[in-house]
Amino acid sequence: MAGPFNPELHVDLKRFGAKDLDMCMNCGTCTTICPMSEDSGGGFPRRVIRLVQTGQQKKLESSLDPWMCYFCGDCTLNCPRNANPAEVMMASRRYLTSRYDFTGLASLFYRNPLTEIIAIVLVGLFITALFVFLHGPMVLHRVELNTFAPVKWVELGDWIMAGTLSFFLLAGAVRMTWWTLGRRDMLRVSPMIFIRQIPTFFAHLFTQKRWARCGSHPSLIRWIKHLLLVSGYLSMLTLVLILLRWFQTDHVYPFYYPQRLWGYYATVALLYPTGDFIVSRLRRKEPIHFFTEASDWIFLVMLFLTALTGIMVNVFRVNGFPMATYIIYVIHLAIAVPMLVVEVPFSKWSHIMYRPLSIYLAGVKKAVADSTGKGSDAQALEPAAAA
Amino acid sequence: MVAQTGEKRYSDALVIGGGIAGLQAALDLAEQGYKVMVVEREASIGGRMISLSKVYPTLDCASCITTPKMSAAAHHENIEIMTYTEVKSIVPDGDGHLVTVTRKPTYVNADKCIGCRLCEYACDSEFADSFEQGLGATRAISVAFTNAIPQKAVLQAEYCLSCGLCLRACPTDAIEFDQQPRQEQIAAHAVIITTGFQLNGLNIKPQYSAAQSANIISPLTLERLLAPHGPYGRVLRPSDGKIPESVAFVLCSGSRDRTIGVPYCSRVCCMYSIKQAMLLAGSLPTADITIYYMDIRAFGKGYEQFYQNARAMGVNFVRGKVSHIDVAPPDDLMVHVEMTEESVDCVRRQKHDLVVLAQGMIPQWNPSGVSTVTIGEDGFVATPDLASPCATNVPGVFVAGAAAGPKDIVDTIADAGAAAMVAARYLVRCGSKESAQPGGGRSVRLELAV
Ligand code: SF4
Ligand code: SF4
Repeated sequence: MAGPFNPELHVDLKRFGAKDLDMCMNCGTCTTICPMSEDSGGGFPRRVIRLVQTGQQKKLESSLDPWMCYFCGDCTLNCPRNANPAEVMMASRRYLTSRYDFTGLASLFYRNPLTEIIAIVLVGLFITALFVFLHGPMVLHRVELNTFAPVKWVELGDWIMAGTLSFFLLAGAVRMTWWTLGRRDMLRVSPMIFIRQIPTFFAHLFTQKRWARCGSHPSLIRWIKHLLLVSGYLSMLTLVLILLRWFQTDHVYPFYYPQRLWGYYATVALLYPTGDFIVSRLRRKEPIHFFTEASDWIFLVMLFLTALTGIMVNVFRVNGFPMATYIIYVIHLAIAVPMLVVEVPFSKWSHIMYRPLSIYLAGVKKAVADSTGKGSDAQALEPAAAA
Repeated sequence: MVAQTGEKRYSDALVIGGGIAGLQAALDLAEQGYKVMVVEREASIGGRMISLSKVYPTLDCASCITTPKMSAAAHHENIEIMTYTEVKSIVPDGDGHLVTVTRKPTYVNADKCIGCRLCEYACDSEFADSFEQGLGATRAISVAFTNAIPQKAVLQAEYCLSCGLCLRACPTDAIEFDQQPRQEQIAAHAVIITTGFQLNGLNIKPQYSAAQSANIISPLTLERLLAPHGPYGRVLRPSDGKIPESVAFVLCSGSRDRTIGVPYCSRVCCMYSIKQAMLLAGSLPTADITIYYMDIRAFGKGYEQFYQNARAMGVNFVRGKVSHIDVAPPDDLMVHVEMTEESVDCVRRQKHDLVVLAQGMIPQWNPSGVSTVTIGEDGFVATPDLASPCATNVPGVFVAGAAAGPKDIVDTIADAGAAAMVAARYLVRCGSKESAQPGGGRSVRLELAV
């Protein structure tokens, strides 16, 4: 692509799922209906669709608007052309994810789900092979998981994985920041502004509270389920990355001990919403479920299986089935690791980073605009307003 | 109970619908010497056009154009008009068609009625007048409207109290409470469908809250408000009779919208809204008038100039499709629209006293079950042959005007003329084929064409 325009942009976006994009006649119904649009000052979804239709790739890449949409589907229900604006917003998020990622893998996975499946299978096989060839002694008269898979080695693997994932994710975050803050303009922003907005990032990482305002009643319920899912996901990461020594033990603690309770909470918090999302996607009741891209399926199914095999490890271990425990443990890791490696930096899971980051960046942008707005010329033009 | 009259009557052509299209087609055929029957469902001919105030782009008075056509047709020796009559079936029969019609009872003997309206003045039962779009009242027995043709009273049984006041008032004893529906058969060579359009209802998009406010009105209602002989004689808003200070026209509110099953453009709304805005600007000189539009489709001769004139007169044009309307208590309305042409993104909320929804045109009549004429995806009568735009799939059955798709008056009249022309050509062809048979009701011209 030469210059800021890419005439093929709308074709690209269709590959990311925005199939009915060309139907849009830019009437603006969707923008007026959208419960999120006005506060975000974006004029979306119409403006985003317009950027795509007119091939303004640079502007799209520097836009935070797609991240301000929580897919309530109100716009799609009201669109007089059945252009499915909510799906265009979704597709732009997928597109942006693939653009933030410098490796090109995200783009490959989104456009060709088969490659994503292959990648998952390869990583899964790699993990299985590691265990087949490098596992510790198998004690068969009682469950000794820490002998089979010594926790310090597993932990080391965890940390290597976490480091790699963080690297890719942060690289994406840097590209996103660089583009959305206007590239070189970013260097002129005072570091204080960046620091002052940090609490916003964490508040939104843990609560996604903007979502609660989006759309009508069903979307509120969806937010609660999503919140549950995120808490389950973060619990899982905490238990596995930080508290593994305490979590993966051979001693069977009583039921009410915190590591067991927390583990059960994480399991329920993962199984219930994923199971529910799978069912409603199959039933296609709400607009968000009208079209389900392969990436969404892979994400849901992998997460569901991770939680399921996780709880099975626990069941076999607590009830004293050594062989079953070891096997299901390997399967558990052969599902969980590829899910994390493939999905977190390169696919659907990356939004756990980009969503709060986008709100953070929007806060930074606004602070910058406010500070420059209060500066020289605005004051000269409107002394009364400044006072 | 439906009485059957034995006699089958003949006509060269039968026109279904006595609006401007049907009248024009009938007159064009009659002038060429063919016998024409016009079947009209309502109590008067004249169709939609007779209820309009003025027409664009000339701002001529609509009745001044329609009334002469109505009376010309009514008085033409080759035209027979059957009002209050519905078509039950059209069956191909040789070259022609056997058409069965039901003549609904008017409970008034048309031969005796002299149109004095004494019955109407005597009647005690009042209800909303559909000709005035429900703004005025009419009575259970009445002449359809001031300039109706024929000027004959019709009694509407569902509103009749059977009190007998009209019986006593009528000077000619024309009222017959015991009338029954009557079926008649007409053998016609050519049939022309000119059944026109209807609007797709104010409530079709709940987002526009028309059910919650009397001040969200149909364009046909505004036509009546603007008509010199309309219900109030001036423009007042229905809820409280206030003279509106701010009027909004919402274009594409019933067309170009797949969520309501009308994906097509109704073609006339831009222009009639501009016309209505101009007329309003004349009758309410201090009112703010806003037209919310997506793109102004001023495609006809002189239309663009007309549009520019409206702009010059100070009518406010805002580009953007209104997404929803809220009622702003007590009686005002809040219109929500994205200002798609502003440099800064913004959604505007604007308060108005009166909102006119430019509803979509949908077909008035569906021939299925009556005839084998097919309809298109849009529900209008299909015209499969591009080179012969008035021909339907059934030989000898033609279509003209808005029955075949949204059209304005200018196009409808041209279309009706074209339909009359192809029907005449068809009649000539049939005539030459059937020359050996006795003429029956067929006209001189048919025999001449041999
Ligand atoms: S997506 Fe639909 S509602 Fe939005 S501007 Fe396009 S046509 Fe209008
Ligand atoms: S899905 Fe909901 S939040 Fe997203 S653009 Fe449409 S209306 Fe706005």
